[in-house]
Amino acid sequence: MTFHVDTSTGKTLGIVDLSGRLDAANSSDLLKTFAQWQQQTNLFIFNCAKLDLIDSSGLGAIVSCLRKALERNGELKLSGLSPKVSMVFELTKASKLFSIFPDTGSAIQSF
Amino acid sequence: MKTLIIVKEKDYDWLRPIFPGIHPLLVPICNKPFIEFLIDFAILAGSDALRLVSDGPLSDVEEYCDNGIRWGIPISYGSFLSSDDMELIMEKNHRYCSGERILSMNGFLFIKYDKQHAYRELFAARPEGEILSCSKGSLSLTGTSGETTSCDETLPLSLLELDSLDVYYRLSMEILSFSESPYVIPGYSIEPYCHIGRNVVISKSAEIIKPVIIGNNVQIMAGSIIGPEAVIGSNVIIDRESTVKRSIVFENTYIGEHLEVQNRIAAGNILIEPESGISITMDDPHLLTGIKSSRSTERLIQSLVHRVLALLIITVQLVPFLLLWPILKIQGRWKKSINSYYTNEEGKTLLLTTTAIERKGAISLVAAALSLDRFSLLFSVLSGRLAIIGSGPIAANADKSAAFHEMESWYKAAVFSYAEAEEWPVSGSEKAIVERYFAVHGNPLLDIAMTIKAFLNLIHEIPAP
Repeated sequence: MTFHVDTSTGKTLGIVDLSGRLDAANSSDLLKTFAQWQQQTNLFIFNCAKLDLIDSSGLGAIVSCLRKALERNGELKLSGLSPKVSMVFELTKASKLFSIFPDTGSAIQSF
Repeated sequence: MKTLIIVKEKDYDWLRPIFPGIHPLLVPICNKPFIEFLIDFAILAGSDALRLVSDGPLSDVEEYCDNGIRWGIPISYGSFLSSDDMELIMEKNHRYCSGERILSMNGFLFIKYDKQHAYRELFAARPEGEILSCSKGSLSLTGTSGETTSCDETLPLSLLELDSLDVYYRLSMEILSFSESPYVIPGYSIEPYCHIGRNVVISKSAEIIKPVIIGNNVQIMAGSIIGPEAVIGSNVIIDRESTVKRSIVFENTYIGEHLEVQNRIAAGNILIEPESGISITMDDPHLLTGIKSSRSTERLIQSLVHRVLALLIITVQLVPFLLLWPILKIQGRWKKSINSYYTNEEGKTLLLTTTAIERKGAISLVAAALSLDRFSLLFSVLSGRLAIIGSGPIAANADKSAAFHEMESWYKAAVFSYAEAEEWPVSGSEKAIVERYFAVHGNPLLDIAMTIKAFLNLIHEIPAP
């Protein structure tokens, strides 16, 4: 996963590019690094375009990131969910918690 | 009339990667294997024999349908080469077909019919030739019947090409939508739009919204919502607070807690979107998983725990047994009998010496309170022939064979039964529900607790053979 800051809308947005699998093996890494990213901003977009697979641990980590962002009056939006990842979000009803956009561009414009 | 079903592998090959491990002819449509719809129709049409031929493997279908005795129609099987044309296929089956009127079902097709219609008479009056056709197959008659008339009446039938998952899904939803199904659907139905199988445990707080079809041995946990338009296969667990609507859940599937299965097909750990055909294989047992029938390590631990418990109970009972048994024997209140009971292994039986204590007088009541009637059975636990706790042993006789067949997947012959521990009625379907519940949720710790409960309960009766 990589992180960069986008200021094109005048706001400091943290863009997190997730790739490969997000599961029990690496979900704790996301939680740790998210705390570091929060020192720069509390507005986040998780770009899931290259995310192939997510399990309940990964979902738990993303929901936990959302909670941490909301606690500091921030936001966390998702973009580019593949149909398979989208199915997991729908199955677990996590899709109701997030604002989901087809691509990162439209997610940036929504802030 | 006889029926000849001709199915080419290329017509059903698309289904194999979607439901691996299930022969396409056995893929369930509303909890009924597809082949059974064809068999039902052949019988309705007046066939007295059925032959299934294919250029692909049929061993699984053969194993399932066997010789057709379940349907009361002899079923035979044959093969042909992929390159064979219809003429050659018919020639290869000429011995089966000769001298008889033949109804040919050619293709991987679903025949939409209505069990209320008198197809036997309609087909008998029909002249030789094609009855219905579509791009992927046809339904035709060869040979003449004595009753044939020149009949141009359209038969109340239609063909559906099963060529995509979307078609399969829509067909299932269509069958669900009938208040009284035109097909024979498994399970019992006392009200429209609802078929429920055996041993279905539905929590009080679960909600069932019609139309639904629910298979056998299903558990629907607290707060779950099933339906509308849900097909739940056999041996399925829908865990707490989950929703299943406009979806098909295949047999042996576990749906985790707080999930929403909507417009999907769930088969084991595979979740499929029928419209696009996109599927994901879940690696996460908390979400969606197949229910495996054997958990070897847990079974080994469970078996050890059962033996230790049996040994402990023998130790506790030994002195009272040695003191009370001779007295009861002299009084004629210790009644032994030797009978054959079903074991956990299919088709196998074992001889058990069971005891009944006639409850008259203080001594016999003390003996019954100490469960001394189970003393001799405890040694069968040590030898691994019985479990300490499970299902009450079922006597192996013709009357009980049907009951045993229903319980076969989870039956575990035992000294004490879960129903006794829970002080449920020790006979009938309620007992089966309790025993089934604990057999699924059982673990060594729970077995220890349930054995103690059963041992402390005062009244036990081994069902009479």
